[in-house]
Amino acid sequence: MAGRILLVEDDAQIADYIARGLDEEGFTVDRAGNGRDGLFLATDSQFDVVVLDRMLPAMDGLALLKAMRAAEVQTPVIMLSALGSTDDRVAGLTAGADDYLPKPFSFAELLARVQALMRRGAGGGGTAKPQDTVLRCADLELDRLTRVVKRGGRKIAMQPREFRLLEYMLLHQGEVVTRTMLLEAVWDYHFDPGTNVIDVHISRLRRKIDDGEVQALFHTVRGAGYRLGTE
Amino acid sequence: MRRRLTSTMARLVLAIFVLQLLSSALAIFFLRGQMLEVVHSDRVRQVTDVRDDLLAAYYDGGHDGLADFIARRRGSAADPTVFVALLGKDAPVLSNLARVPDIPVTPQPRALTVDRGADLPPIEGVAQASVLSDGDRLIVGVMSATERRLDFAFATAVGLTIAMAAALALASALLLGAVISRRTHELADTAAQLGRGNFGVRVPLAQTGDGFDHLRQQMNLMAERIDSLVSQLGSIGGALAHDLRSPVARLTAAIDTALAKADDPAAADALQAARSDADLLRQMLENALEISRLEGGALEDRRVTLDLATVAEDLVELYEPLAEQSGVALEAELAHATVRADRELLSRALANLIDNALKYGGKRIVVGTRASSTWAEISVSDDGPGIAAEDRGRVVERFVRLDNARTLPGGGLGLAMVAAVARLHGGELVLSGESGLVAILRLPR
Repeated sequence: MAGRILLVEDDAQIADYIARGLDEEGFTVDRAGNGRDGLFLATDSQFDVVVLDRMLPAMDGLALLKAMRAAEVQTPVIMLSALGSTDDRVAGLTAGADDYLPKPFSFAELLARVQALMRRGAGGGGTAKPQDTVLRCADLELDRLTRVVKRGGRKIAMQPREFRLLEYMLLHQGEVVTRTMLLEAVWDYHFDPGTNVIDVHISRLRRKIDDGEVQALFHTVRGAGYRLGTE
Repeated sequence: MRRRLTSTMARLVLAIFVLQLLSSALAIFFLRGQMLEVVHSDRVRQVTDVRDDLLAAYYDGGHDGLADFIARRRGSAADPTVFVALLGKDAPVLSNLARVPDIPVTPQPRALTVDRGADLPPIEGVAQASVLSDGDRLIVGVMSATERRLDFAFATAVGLTIAMAAALALASALLLGAVISRRTHELADTAAQLGRGNFGVRVPLAQTGDGFDHLRQQMNLMAERIDSLVSQLGSIGGALAHDLRSPVARLTAAIDTALAKADDPAAADALQAARSDADLLRQMLENALEISRLEGGALEDRRVTLDLATVAEDLVELYEPLAEQSGVALEAELAHATVRADRELLSRALANLIDNALKYGGKRIVVGTRASSTWAEISVSDDGPGIAAEDRGRVVERFVRLDNARTLPGGGLGLAMVAAVARLHGGELVLSGESGLVAILRLPR
């Protein structure tokens, strides 16, 4: 997936690490080391996603974001912050961030979120759209009205939370979804429970969907999370 | 109404009372002494006057003239307070007397007690004896109840003074006490508010320039200082988070980069282990910072009315597959318990408790919710080894991990975080249990 990303981060080492990773994924990365340069670039050029650090010299990340939104620059912004509390996350989202990622994060987590934002920015790529009543992936079918899930002709019984989990995976099929993203979207928790509670939920769901099938739809992405798709 | 008569007040009342009494008594006794002296010198003059009068009668009429003068109580001898005795060769001539007083001849009159007869009480007086030219002795005296009346009056005055002093001392002490009490309580209330974390409070200044105003000013300065220190602490906390998290982030990043290029499985394993430790470090750091934030009371109030049963049900549902995989029965015994609380924080706290039970507990975990009219609680009970009663107070402290827990991963912040959440909601974390551990998060309703 190609795209142009603005990275505003004052910590050179972290900036290098992110830029290199994104570059390897095929993105073009522009970098700014302080808030003023960041704002200048963000308002001046066209980017697909802005990765913005919360604490910056010259101009704070929140102020930059507000200034950007005031200038009607609607580029999706993912905010990185060493401030991980709920208050800080809400402040970031209120200021106009599309996503908020507490530091330290794994690159896979950032990548997954950047990709999700790019798809959203591109008008929801993939095969499923948020307004569809029936979500499909290969021969897997989820009816959001009747709440019936079928794989081929086989009807699969679902618990309410499993249904929401599968619905989210279908809406983001082809994308890497991380454990944190699932915890936020399906359970509405913004803390890390530490133990891999999500993995067990996924493996249960995976057994229901993939067991006995020739084609596996659930894929584990090492060090990142999961992906639902035909390959 | 607060207690006004404290021990300090009582001592103050006593001091005021004693001082007032002493000063009044001094004044009274000085007055008494002066008056007695005036009375005495008055009598002495009267005695001298009467004696001069009688001596004049003696020179005019001799012994008989004088005796007649005395018996008929003429001239100055007519005064009912005057008594006279003429003693000589003949029978004594007595006026106003029952018995001859025995006094020596002196140049100055002297005090004595006069016996006036059987039906009258003895009385104080002043008398002087003189020797006449024919060798007879003339005793002239004045008697009076003035001293007694005076002493009675003074006694009354002293009594009245004591009563007045007591009343005044009590009144002034109460008034002073009320004033001091009002001012000190005003200061104490402000201090209490500061203690509770409301660093914006100040004491209004009265501009009286007295000690209390000085105290108020100093208190406000102190509050100002605390306020700025606390907000500095908040920003230091943020800076510290930034400073510590960034290296950890770089560490994680470097490990990830190395991991992607590690073809040697042994190297990959070692890197994976380093990665988990970096994650653990990150989590400890986050929890420690979160607890600092919770304890600093600097969090935004995000409390809503919620049912603890719903919160518990969601978390039981989240952990149930993991429990099943670990062979632990995770059960819920839920009763509706609505309370005002922060869902996110409460969920985190409960997740910590369930996580702890899964790590250190036994084979059965029960999550329960209950409510009374005054409190609502969530409990997590397990049938594991539990925590010894003497360790229960300690485990809620930061970074304390018991020996049997050291072999399992974890930062030792779980219960401290739960306790901080409980305190933030005005509640408490209670650890109990006969066998196994029962952790109760109790919140006021």
